[in-house]
Amino acid sequence: MNRLVCPFCGARELEEFLFRKTLPEEGASEYEAIYERTNRLDDSLEHWQHVHGCRAWLEVRRNPSTGAVLEVRMIGGGRS
Amino acid sequence: MSERPPRSGTRVTTEPVRFSFDGREYVGQRGDTLASALLAHGVTLLGRSVKYRRRRGLLAVGPEEPNALVTVGETPLVIPNVPAPQLVLRDGLVARSQNRWPSLKFDVAAMLQAGGGFFGAGFYYKTFIWPSWRTYEGLIRNLAGLGEAPGAAALPPPSVEHLSCDVLVGGGGAAGLSAALAAARAGARVVLCEREPELGGELDFEGAALDGKGAADWIRAVRAELQSHGARVLTDATVIGGSDGLVIVHQVPGGLAGRDAMFRIRPRRFVIAMGAIERPIAFEENDRPGVMLLGAAERLLARYGVVAGQRPLLFGNHDRLYAAAARLIEGGIRPVGVVDTRPSATTERATVARHRSVLERAAVPCFARHAVLAVNGRGRVRAATIAALGATGGTRIVECDSVLVSGGWSPSVHAGLHEGGERRYAEGSGAFIAGAQPGWRLSAGAANGTLELAAVVAEGFAAGERAAREAGAARGVGTAPVGAGDAEPRLVPFWRSPAPLAAEKRQFVDLQNDVTVADLRQALAEGFIDIEHVKRYTTLGVGTEQGRTGSVLGAAIIAELKGETLATVGASRTRPPYHPLTLAAIAGHRVGQQLRVRRRTPLHEWHEANGGVLEPAEFWMRTRYYRTNGIDAYTAGIAEAHRVRTHGGVVDGSTLGKIEVAGEDAARYLDRLYLSKASTIKVGRSKYMVNLREDGMVLDDGIVLRLAEDRFLATTGSGHAEHMLAHFEHYRDTEWSGADVALANVTEAWGVIVAAGPASREALGTALGPEWIGRVAALAHMEFAEGPYRGGELRLLRASFSGELAYELHCRPGQAVGLWQSLVAAGLPPYGLEALDILRVEKGYLVGSEMNGQTTPADLGMDGLLKLGNPCVGRALLDRPAFHAASRPKLVGLRAADGKSVILGGAHITRPNAPARSLGYITSSAFSPALGEWIALALVARSDAGDGTSLVARDPLRGRDVAVRVTAPVHFDPGAQRMNS
Repeated sequence: MNRLVCPFCGARELEEFLFRKTLPEEGASEYEAIYERTNRLDDSLEHWQHVHGCRAWLEVRRNPSTGAVLEVRMIGGGRS
Repeated sequence: MSERPPRSGTRVTTEPVRFSFDGREYVGQRGDTLASALLAHGVTLLGRSVKYRRRRGLLAVGPEEPNALVTVGETPLVIPNVPAPQLVLRDGLVARSQNRWPSLKFDVAAMLQAGGGFFGAGFYYKTFIWPSWRTYEGLIRNLAGLGEAPGAAALPPPSVEHLSCDVLVGGGGAAGLSAALAAARAGARVVLCEREPELGGELDFEGAALDGKGAADWIRAVRAELQSHGARVLTDATVIGGSDGLVIVHQVPGGLAGRDAMFRIRPRRFVIAMGAIERPIAFEENDRPGVMLLGAAERLLARYGVVAGQRPLLFGNHDRLYAAAARLIEGGIRPVGVVDTRPSATTERATVARHRSVLERAAVPCFARHAVLAVNGRGRVRAATIAALGATGGTRIVECDSVLVSGGWSPSVHAGLHEGGERRYAEGSGAFIAGAQPGWRLSAGAANGTLELAAVVAEGFAAGERAAREAGAARGVGTAPVGAGDAEPRLVPFWRSPAPLAAEKRQFVDLQNDVTVADLRQALAEGFIDIEHVKRYTTLGVGTEQGRTGSVLGAAIIAELKGETLATVGASRTRPPYHPLTLAAIAGHRVGQQLRVRRRTPLHEWHEANGGVLEPAEFWMRTRYYRTNGIDAYTAGIAEAHRVRTHGGVVDGSTLGKIEVAGEDAARYLDRLYLSKASTIKVGRSKYMVNLREDGMVLDDGIVLRLAEDRFLATTGSGHAEHMLAHFEHYRDTEWSGADVALANVTEAWGVIVAAGPASREALGTALGPEWIGRVAALAHMEFAEGPYRGGELRLLRASFSGELAYELHCRPGQAVGLWQSLVAAGLPPYGLEALDILRVEKGYLVGSEMNGQTTPADLGMDGLLKLGNPCVGRALLDRPAFHAASRPKLVGLRAADGKSVILGGAHITRPNAPARSLGYITSSAFSPALGEWIALALVARSDAGDGTSLVARDPLRGRDVAVRVTAPVHFDPGAQRMNS
């Protein structure tokens, strides 16, 4: 994985993006979300920002074991 | 220097090139490599081995050369570990051999080892352990390692080029050229990378014919056709790694760093056609100068006209031996015999028979089902001992001046091993070839285990066409080239000659790292069973050569010793980069200013012109102190801080992070991001606020100003604005998406000047003029006013980071210098960061040392803010019991018990009677001119943080242990009377 496809800007080098976090499992408490996270081998849902681009926050679903990016979508309808 | 007739070959011209090696001057021919030129001069001793310091000559012609690594240049500007067969001569080249002292012929370390025998695997780990490894480290490091590290660097930064194409072909030999040809004809955008300075790979010595042309003509024709299709051909360019659709190619003209170029190529399809690397067979003393790979001898002869040995003995396990022997005879060389490990029946084949008749006419004996057991001769090969395999018969000594060995070929699959790429063992060729690959990679030719030219060309062409089609190119590709060359080698795997146990320590597997069969046997006996563990324990396949000649050989011998098959043992994984890189090549343009931006405030030039000593702080250049106030930061800082307390001063605060938050939901949104509420701030007023991370730790602090009902200005720490903006945007777009909030980083839209001190109010009035005098006087603490000022806008906030009466002036950057000058003229001299720090430590205000990502609001004494109970981000987790344990840190003040000792940041705090148990540490300290003694802020375990507790600040690094006493964090003016005056 060395590129992400931004829904607005197209395929861009990873260095344009900022990783924020891996999303917790469905139904996790606040404590679990921070301290007891599951590292899922094949399916990781993450928040990234196209920080050196359009600044959109993106939800990235990827497979950490292969590096394959499965889905990138914009989060919310935030304005900028 | 004797006169020799000029040599001829495909790579050399007759133009002389002068160079020196180990202090002696030589003349080579243009196009020569250091290795070919030295061998032409009869210099065969080219290096010593890294561990045993054994004499070594050239084994290979390529980056796989394990022995002949040289250092180029003069100390300290050296480039070490350049393989001599890759280093193309340039005028005045200065090179020297490595791993020897004082000279290559006489090496002290080799003498020391002569009596002691060999060090087995793990020798260093096992021997140098008492009293500790450190006792020996310096001595061993002097003897260890490859080459001399550069003491300085003067290499120009390499260029970095980004390319994208439809089809990238790695390798410019028969397979790669055919692939590129097909792809280019199909209409694909093609890039071809070839490691060598010339295209063609092995074609220039194989005696091949393609499309009825000689190899050289065919290569020229293909190159011309590629260029006519717009294909880009890079020579001297090695694929060093790549995954996920990105391939990194490093171009090193002439094999020497200094004019490098890095290419980051994104192809739609990547054809791996990088050939194969010939591997040796292990036998006793197989590291002697004169033992060389058969292909290396052929390359030397064809490319440079260099004869590696006049009377070589050929040793191998395949049909190529006979074709090669016939070519050597044509080249005027007299082989003394061909030793073939296979039974005689396998040599009965038409193509072989033709070559064998050449051998017969030249009276060269062939020994089927034989092996070379050992070579004899110290400085170089003088004879070889051979014996029949599987028989108990005697041995035979064959006099020779070299042994040309070939144990088969290991495909160059390094580029196919990343991103989940696999390799698999191909039984027939005794080699690992690329296995399952991600869809964008294909392999062809020798890299794919195909060794016969006609098949290589056909496979390359087909791969190129397929790659082009998959990349969307649709034009016809015409007919494939037809090639004819050496026949299929019909190799029968053979890895090492029989040897008694005692001789295994002289059967070398990895010459670069002095790994022998005995080491492998020992590693297995000691329980290092996995190939990756054997690699790390014995160093098999590490170093510049990365196991190109020895790795598969070692794996096969491990398989033999374990009684398993090579397929189950596997080969150790290679990692990028494929060949050594300078750090400069990796850094590319990311050096100096390009590595990290340096921001300048609007007042930068004024500071420089007025004695300001500027230093980088976060991304900014900031003034530490003014030279006019003292000879160093310490003296000047104290003078400046003293003046602020007694009179006043101005400091450049433009680096303050500033984020504007606007919109219908701005107030409610900020409420959730801060520990206290923004919605309760009245328009025209401001509040000190603190952010938490999700886990409850303090993230940042700052003053939030309410500019209008729906508009705020949130200030952040210097250099934090970018990060905080991303933080703000994240919450706006995720948790509370849909909120009507706009965010903008306005840090650089405002210059900020802080005027502080008892005289600041009066000076401001003078500087700002009559229309502002009344407003200045009316401002209460934390209130601000906005209005026009000299045609621009001004925001005046009464707030303090020094504990004095103070004002922040926000103006347009273009007005900052004028405003600053008026303030200075009105009697407020400038002060810098050093003074700023003293003033804030005196007041117990926080910076990053205290808000270090490990401290909660409770740790930092923000109980008042916590009591507000605002349910903001990170608030919920603060109730965890562990955050309230007696071991949690508490922010305290410290003073030396004697009232005069120096206490410095970083010192650990302990009880007087328990010096080994740290209770915390000093986060900030300063000499306070107001108090006349050293003061500090520290994080100390709550159990020991009571006011007046006697502790010790231990500072073993600076040799200072000081008895201290705990105080409140606010050292000066605890009632805050000055600020509110």
